[in-house]
Amino acid sequence: MAAARLSWSVWIMKETYETKIEQLRRIIEKIEDGNTGLDESMKMYEEGAVLVKQCEILLTEAELKITTLSRDA
Amino acid sequence: MDWFNRPDVAAVVEKAPLRVSELSAIIEGLFDNPLLQDILVRGEVTNYTHHARGHRYFSLSEKGGGNTAAVIKCVMWRSDAERLSFNPSEGMEIIVAGTVRAYAPHGSYQLQVREMRKSGLGEKFLLVEQWKSELLAQGCFSPDRKRMLPLYPARIGVVTSETGAVIHDIRTVVGRRYPLEIVISPTAVQGEEAHREIARAITRLAGMVDVVIVARGGGSFEDLFPFNHPDVVRAIVACPVPVVSAIGHEVDVTLSDLAADLRAATPSAAAELVVPDRMVLLARLKELKSQMSTALQGRVAWAREEVADMRDRLRPQRFSRKLEERKQTMADLSDRLERAFSNRLGRESLLLAEMKTALDSRNPVAVLARGYCVAEKNGAIVRSAYTIEKGDRLKIRFYDGSSQVIVERVDHERNL
Repeated sequence: MAAARLSWSVWIMKETYETKIEQLRRIIEKIEDGNTGLDESMKMYEEGAVLVKQCEILLTEAELKITTLSRDA
Repeated sequence: MDWFNRPDVAAVVEKAPLRVSELSAIIEGLFDNPLLQDILVRGEVTNYTHHARGHRYFSLSEKGGGNTAAVIKCVMWRSDAERLSFNPSEGMEIIVAGTVRAYAPHGSYQLQVREMRKSGLGEKFLLVEQWKSELLAQGCFSPDRKRMLPLYPARIGVVTSETGAVIHDIRTVVGRRYPLEIVISPTAVQGEEAHREIARAITRLAGMVDVVIVARGGGSFEDLFPFNHPDVVRAIVACPVPVVSAIGHEVDVTLSDLAADLRAATPSAAAELVVPDRMVLLARLKELKSQMSTALQGRVAWAREEVADMRDRLRPQRFSRKLEERKQTMADLSDRLERAFSNRLGRESLLLAEMKTALDSRNPVAVLARGYCVAEKNGAIVRSAYTIEKGDRLKIRFYDGSSQVIVERVDHERNL
């Protein structure tokens, strides 16, 4: 159970926030790169805007949660 | 023996007598001896008094065989006594650190105690040293095994006392910077069994969190002692995720601090190390957003330029203008050709006419046409009447024919 919960939490931040930021960086690089077509650049921009929104939500909607483990486990 | 005649004694007598304060000052000066500064002394507490102002007065004595072998008066001022982690009591065997000073008002000397430990602690210090070298040999403190903290943890584990300020401080910092799930693994943080509990509390978090904080507020060497225990050190080393330690004050370094992947000065500092600041992240995100906008605007501007350039190159007016130009050139050329040709033709025909006139003027037939005729005798033109005589056969050539004639008579001009 614990392992499953960890993989979920890892997914949230590693596969979500970190990856999204990384994707965003790649998108910017590609748009800046002269080899990417305008059409593709615009599609990428839209993709990037979605990523930004998702990251903002991840950061602003985070909530503090306290869990206390039992001492006799 | 004649005291008064001894030369050196006479010299003493001649000196002015010292005042008591002067003598005290000399004696005080003697206590500056380095052998009496910052020394450790072991002894038994006697005559212990806890003064109302907070100062502690006592004597430190050494049990001799039968009689008391030695005693020294001691004082511990309030400012130092406040840090005491135990209450000294009569007969307690202790080790003190301090400096010997003369106290002029009482005409006595005393040991000013800065720090005090139970004598049994001496063994504990030694034990820590021994553990340290053992754990060092096992590679527990090796810089190679220090791990990087996760950039974006999802859950952090905190091993500490459920009560106390530590968990409150961590909650406050995490809540402000980057709210997430804090998993508290509660444990006793001092006492005889604390090391086992702490080690268990660390182990319990395995697989549940991305990073662990092991924290405890400030305390005496004895209070922090469990964090030196190999059980705790090994639990930190075995922890599958990075461990940040914040144990005691910055000056107290426990073996757990040495084994941790990162050491923080305080629990709040540990929390700051463990979670990013979302305000910073949001600002960075905003930057990325504007960078992306700028990139796209640049890309669009570039595309626009490209299109404008291509439109210029493809414009029909431009194309037909080119066609016109070609046509014009062709017309010009053909004009020139025609002109050149007709000029030449004119010149040639003029020449031809001239030549024809010249030719015509020399054409005998033309002369004959005007009514003249040519006489030939034996194929030669007759130019003079003297070249012919009666009976000559002549050929008379007309413009349109000829005739054979016989000369009847020859008249010369003068005969006419």
